Amino acid sequence: MAWNRPDWLPRALAALLVLTLLAPAFGWAAGQVGYAEPLENAAEATDATEHATAVGTALFPDYGVPGLGGATGTFVSAVVGTALTLLLGAGIGRLLGADTDQRQ
Amino acid sequence: MHIPDGYIDLPLALLFGALAVVVLSVAAKRVNGEISDARAPLLGVVAASIFAAQMLDWPIPGGTSAHFVGGAFAAILLGPHLGALCVATVVTIQALVFGDGGLVVLGANVFNMAVVEVYVGYAIYRLLVPYGEFRAAFVAGWLGITAGALTAALQLGLSSAFQYQLLTTLSIMGVGHLVLGLIEGAITASVYRYLARARPDLRPNAAPEVSA
Repeated sequence: MAWNRPDWLPRALAALLVLTLLAPAFGWAAGQVGYAEPLENAAEATDATEHATAVGTALFPDYGVPGLGGATGTFVSAVVGTALTLLLGAGIGRLLGADTDQRQ
Repeated sequence: MHIPDGYIDLPLALLFGALAVVVLSVAAKRVNGEISDARAPLLGVVAASIFAAQMLDWPIPGGTSAHFVGGAFAAILLGPHLGALCVATVVTIQALVFGDGGLVVLGANVFNMAVVEVYVGYAIYRLLVPYGEFRAAFVAGWLGITAGALTAALQLGLSSAFQYQLLTTLSIMGVGHLVLGLIEGAITASVYRYLARARPDLRPNAAPEVSA
């Protein structure tokens, strides 16, 4: 049942931290150049933008935190999202692990 | 490439959602019981790195840009089935927690990024790997994201919100991602080459738990 922590994990976590630290800077830079994806361009070209709806109640809408500034909110979102995917992904990996049947 | 709710007609959203469920179910069955304890955390780390990398919008002057999606990268590093589950995890968290991509169209987004990009990218990689891993990974990343974008364009172009202007959506998204995909390919190939050299034990052929 013990988790075998691989020796590459600390360096991988450090790399993840660097990526989350970069998120606010990239977010700012993208805003400066008027970032738009081809999907948004296609929506504008076909007058589809008004059809976009938001039915969800996301905790961190648009990778921000209500009440926090842009850069801080982006960083918090990056940390939360990265941690969530790390835990969920590792959990799925564990669930599909080789010794699952032996544990049950 | 994250489609919001309201852009795709409901029948199409349901169809591609069902297809995504079927493919991911098969993927989960193919890898179930085949992942070693030492390799299980790799799924989490790759998923987390893809999530974080997707937050880095490329600030290309001129407006039209994109971000790393990572489908081919996940497929090459983890194998296609685990790669699909990995990207599906990312896309699902993005929709549920951050509102990036709709909930009704979640299945379609998963299909585009976690199924099409992953499996097309992996097929291209396997096809080209005899000509060099770097080249194969580059083309896999490049054409993988383009294939995902074309699938999204197909869904949008067949929907009423886009006035069924299929040629418009295919041309804008296809050409856009064909150009921007060069960056995806470069990142895919560079990061994979670095990892393959630094940690050859992480290469999929070093852990044959994932069957193609």
